[in-house]
Amino acid sequence: MARHKKIRTEEQDDPAMDISSMIDCCFLLLIYFLVATTLVSEKKLDIVIPGGKSSSSTPSPLEPGSITVKNDGSIYWNSDLKVGEAFDTTAAVGTAAFTAQRHLDELVGSLKLLKDQATAVNETPIVMMSGGSKTPHQRIVDVMAALAEAGITTVGLNTSTEE
Amino acid sequence: MAKKNMRGADEVSGDVDMSPMIDCCFLLLIFFVVNATAITVAKDANIKMPSAVSSSDLKDAKGCIVVNIFNDPDKMSDEKTRKAFLEAYPKPNVWWSSGEENGGYSPDETDALTEYVSKQKEQMLARNLEEKQIRIYLRGDVNAPWARTAGAIKCAAAAGVVNIVFGTLPTK
Repeated sequence: MARHKKIRTEEQDDPAMDISSMIDCCFLLLIYFLVATTLVSEKKLDIVIPGGKSSSSTPSPLEPGSITVKNDGSIYWNSDLKVGEAFDTTAAVGTAAFTAQRHLDELVGSLKLLKDQATAVNETPIVMMSGGSKTPHQRIVDVMAALAEAGITTVGLNTSTEE
Repeated sequence: MAKKNMRGADEVSGDVDMSPMIDCCFLLLIFFVVNATAITVAKDANIKMPSAVSSSDLKDAKGCIVVNIFNDPDKMSDEKTRKAFLEAYPKPNVWWSSGEENGGYSPDETDALTEYVSKQKEQMLARNLEEKQIRIYLRGDVNAPWARTAGAIKCAAAAGVVNIVFGTLPTK
């Protein structure tokens, strides 16, 4: 009797598989993908070229704003007001100097003013941007970020580059 | 004898049923795997992405035609990056590449780039995407000169794509 019972209990214990390692593994993957989805995501800045849409026959009463980005990365509003210094390549990502260079507060202020003027007369604010042929892409993105901050999405890009 | 039975019952109730937790865990795992791959565009590791202070999330990668814009290999500060770039694009003077593996485009191949964009646009229109959903997604290197970005935009405009998305990384 006693011997029989012992054998039966051993048989009952055996089929139970140890799944804890699988759960460990599963959790690890879960956490990896959780982190991967939230952190490594590229962002976007989108614009529309104004020429793409059919424009109205009456000319806009507002002068379009103009932004010029020189080859060294300095930025000018309406070709005379300097709103951004030359591109500093030495500032490393994440440093205070790098962050400070990304903010073009003066330009954002001018753009917001233009937008307010345009909304007052029910027009879409239009901004023209031209860059030098050697202007680093980061400076163009800085300008685009300023435009996005001011809420302007219709931007004319002058693709014939200045020297 | 009866005592023995009682002990046996206690041992059984001590086990927790793990299967619903595993089910749940797998479900979450699959959700995140799918999420990680769906809302994304083809990324080229040879590009150092620029940072922007105000940018929004790319909610839908559908309709994005990816164009990578490279810096000159001899101006790349990192030796490893330059080596990897030259291995990936052995052709001289590569300015752009599409998300697919095609060896890249040189500045004299703007027609080929325009053709690629218009072909992609046609395919997307055939897949019932609206015209306004079709965008050109520019992944420019931090130091890539504006002439290249402008060239890519010109090609896109020639192919009839007027919505432009600049790929960036967020910063404060």
